[in-house]
Amino acid sequence: MIVKEGGRVKHCLPRMMRFFCGVFLLLPALLFLASCDNDPHPAALQQKKEDGTPWQVRYSALPEDPRSLDPQFSYDTLGHVVISLLYETLLDYKPFKTDSYDLIPCLAESMPERKQLPGGQESYLIHLKKGLYFHDDPCFEATHGIGREVVADDVAYAFKRIADPKVECPVFSTLEEYVVGLHEAYADAKKNGFFAYEKPLAGVEVLDKYTVRLTLTKAYPQIKYWLAMAFTAPVPHEAVDYYDGIPHDGKIRKQFKFHPVGTGPYYLADWKQNSLIRLERFRRYNATKFPDGGWAAADDARFKPLAGARLPFIDEIQMSIIRETIPSWVLFRQGYLDGSGISKDVFNTVLDTGRELTLDYKKRGIVLHKDPVPDTGYLIFNMDDPVFGKNKKLRQAISSAYDEDFANEVFANGIELNAQELLPPGVFGYQPDLKNPYKQHNLALAKKLMAGAGYPDGRDAKTGAQLQLTLDVTAESATARQAAEFDKSQIEQLGIQVKVSENLWDHLQEKIINGQFQLVTFGWEADYPDPENFFFLFYSKNIPPEGSNNTHYSNPGFDRIFEKMSSMDDSPERLELVHKLTAILNEDCPFVLTAHAVSFSLSQPWAQHIPSNPLAAYNAVKYATVDVAMRNEQQHQLNKPALWPLVTAAFLIAACAVYGIIWSLKRNV
Amino acid sequence: MFSYIIRRILYSVPILFGVIVITFVLFYVVHPPHSVALQMLGPKAKPEAIQNWLHNRGYDKPMFINTQAGRSLFDSQLCHHIKSLALFDLGKSLKTNEPIIDMFKRGAIPSLCITVPAFFLGITMAILAALFLVFVRESLLDVTGTILCVVSMSIPPMVYVIFGQWLFATQWSYFPAFGFIPGGFSMARFLALPICIMAFAGIGSDIRMYRAIFLEEARSDYVRTAYAKGLSARRVLLVHVFKNGMISLITLVVASLPLLIMGSLIIEDFFGIPGLGNLMINATRSADFTVIMAEVYVGSLLFLFGLLLTDICYAIADPRIRLK
Repeated sequence: MIVKEGGRVKHCLPRMMRFFCGVFLLLPALLFLASCDNDPHPAALQQKKEDGTPWQVRYSALPEDPRSLDPQFSYDTLGHVVISLLYETLLDYKPFKTDSYDLIPCLAESMPERKQLPGGQESYLIHLKKGLYFHDDPCFEATHGIGREVVADDVAYAFKRIADPKVECPVFSTLEEYVVGLHEAYADAKKNGFFAYEKPLAGVEVLDKYTVRLTLTKAYPQIKYWLAMAFTAPVPHEAVDYYDGIPHDGKIRKQFKFHPVGTGPYYLADWKQNSLIRLERFRRYNATKFPDGGWAAADDARFKPLAGARLPFIDEIQMSIIRETIPSWVLFRQGYLDGSGISKDVFNTVLDTGRELTLDYKKRGIVLHKDPVPDTGYLIFNMDDPVFGKNKKLRQAISSAYDEDFANEVFANGIELNAQELLPPGVFGYQPDLKNPYKQHNLALAKKLMAGAGYPDGRDAKTGAQLQLTLDVTAESATARQAAEFDKSQIEQLGIQVKVSENLWDHLQEKIINGQFQLVTFGWEADYPDPENFFFLFYSKNIPPEGSNNTHYSNPGFDRIFEKMSSMDDSPERLELVHKLTAILNEDCPFVLTAHAVSFSLSQPWAQHIPSNPLAAYNAVKYATVDVAMRNEQQHQLNKPALWPLVTAAFLIAACAVYGIIWSLKRNV
Repeated sequence: MFSYIIRRILYSVPILFGVIVITFVLFYVVHPPHSVALQMLGPKAKPEAIQNWLHNRGYDKPMFINTQAGRSLFDSQLCHHIKSLALFDLGKSLKTNEPIIDMFKRGAIPSLCITVPAFFLGITMAILAALFLVFVRESLLDVTGTILCVVSMSIPPMVYVIFGQWLFATQWSYFPAFGFIPGGFSMARFLALPICIMAFAGIGSDIRMYRAIFLEEARSDYVRTAYAKGLSARRVLLVHVFKNGMISLITLVVASLPLLIMGSLIIEDFFGIPGLGNLMINATRSADFTVIMAEVYVGSLLFLFGLLLTDICYAIADPRIRLK
């Protein structure tokens, strides 16, 4: 405001105050003007494809950055989500199959030819498809940045990397038992301080440019699943050598694990840590085409027109790193993410009591997907414990008392499957109609078993002392602590005094390895869909520190059947053996089975969902499409800026300003 | 003043040493390298793979002092750690193996893009509001303003974030709810909401504090003299009270300036701003304790620098103050 003092015009506000007022008014105004739309995504790499059709982008979210995109190192789900799109494997899971895990050739021309060899060894002859290429990258200096053809040497190179101590492959210890020469190569590398890549690997012979023979120390039919895992995916040695993380010509090159070069339908276009991973369609991808069948009849109209088409259809995938569930959910509701999980907090608003979508979401065309996860949760007893490990009826009693249905309702919104056996649905030998006699939540039976075990009402029949049990948990979150309290309450129904011991993850692992526990929460998710991958957890030769038999279970009868079963192909005879193993474990009860997880997820109406089994779900994106026009229209409808708050705010500010001026003039201040 | 500065720098050395040792020991207790290895390699990793991981990073060395025959006494994890930090070699991330200094360089700009504007916006709003409350002191407006400040202080910052995202991003569709695109004017649309929320969330306590400072000045003798000379209330407040009040304000504000670079954990996490606050949360969740220790060390350095800066600014602002 300007006033006159002695004929001179002076500003009432001193300079500093004028500065502050300017900042106060100008900065927010500038910020607001800049925020014309609420789309959180960066612009797509292109607007149109080469043929003029719209450029398709898929928007998804990851809770954090993958630790590594090195296929011979990465063992976590996050890494797998991205790696499965960057690297193809020799074999792959059949798409559109949700209830089984059939393998088909991918980089391989056909299924490997298996041959029995003398001394119990067996070999697999693998023929690579011709004309497959690595992604274009500057590491291919000989071909001026154009990705070269994939050859048999690249397959052998992948196995050598598995045996290289510097790569720290987490599955080396498993594969060294089966692949000839892997153990020796590793030992040499440890001794010499480096891995001799120029030396051939005895068990992975390169017969010609496109043929590899894999020799195993013994029969191991599960090797086919390893050939469908990223650990055995071919990688170019040029990329590993080039991206060494060392300065070259004054510029540091990234490490290979942050700069993958693979054979997949997508290549890594950009990766901003803590922000965004952007993949772009690899134009020379031709490992697979859209299949000409295998889907349900109801999907004929959707998929038949695409049969034989070149993949992938989606041109770009943007994976935003969104750690918190709230912003992720907000973006999905706004239509800015093409898919989402359903967190516990919003479960009851999204799904009705029948576990189906509520009307609001159905009206928007959002689709609900229910996919079983090949895992089993359970609490394990220490079979070396002098009380619980030696008393089968006691373990059976605790298992019978446990109310998994109630736990499921409280902790998992009722979506999990009550586990009746160790194997999850979809794995060979799973029995959907099986009723485990010690998993029916029968308190009367439980108490009867307690009496039979010598502990009626939880007290020693001879001494009268109350039975005590320690339940070890990690309790990393409030929910985990509540679950531990629930487990405690279930066991205490039998009169047993339960102490919950919270441990750091590291301490718990030590306790388990050293057998210093009585009961501990556990679980197992399949590496591959074979019963061997579950039953090996109870094989006596895997008792720690040798392996993962954390329950220290030892049953010679079980071991004999397991050894026979594990080297068999799927057949009625194998099925019988698997059922026997299930029956032995259910009867011996070294665990209290809880549940098989089920994944509930949502997808937008414009984002085509490809049904597939959980192990193939991540790279099923290569078969999917996005309806760009539908998305643009719905996003526009869902995100129209509200005008009334702006009008109201402007009116209020104006009114306050006028009032202030009038008040100031009246007060003559 | 120069000798004072040198003395303060020398005092910082044992303080930093203590910070390094305490954080080192704390992390060993809370999350030993063995459990970090399990987390990095996955729970299915075999013992041999874990041992290999530990050996490659020097975590199989003794923790404090090496008493093994033929080895240097200082060939231990703590000694190597202290030496690295003293030379400002912050090491590499356990999760990504990337040099931490590069991660800091990458994260500093996004953090500053939020904290600096939020700082100036917040302080401006707080000063103006405080001056207004002093102007209308002991009136109904003053009481109402004070109550609103207390209410504002009582609300947890996360509530502001969630509410702000819900209202301005989801319901009214003014701002993106999440995300960050670096570079250019378009970056502003991602920063607008987090900046406003960050500025507004802390304003309650700031207004109350500044009001107390200006009120104390307003009750001084020189102010009574100014009124007696016939100066208007507005001139007295805005020219005399404000200027003298700024001296005390500086001591509160300057100390926090160096820490602006460390970002805001909650804001960056919820809005997906890839700054240093986000880096800290990411490191905490993935047990990347080399990054955590580096951030604690750098934060300590900045805090000590901030305290020194406060003393210097105070001496400059008030000629009566002499640093000895």
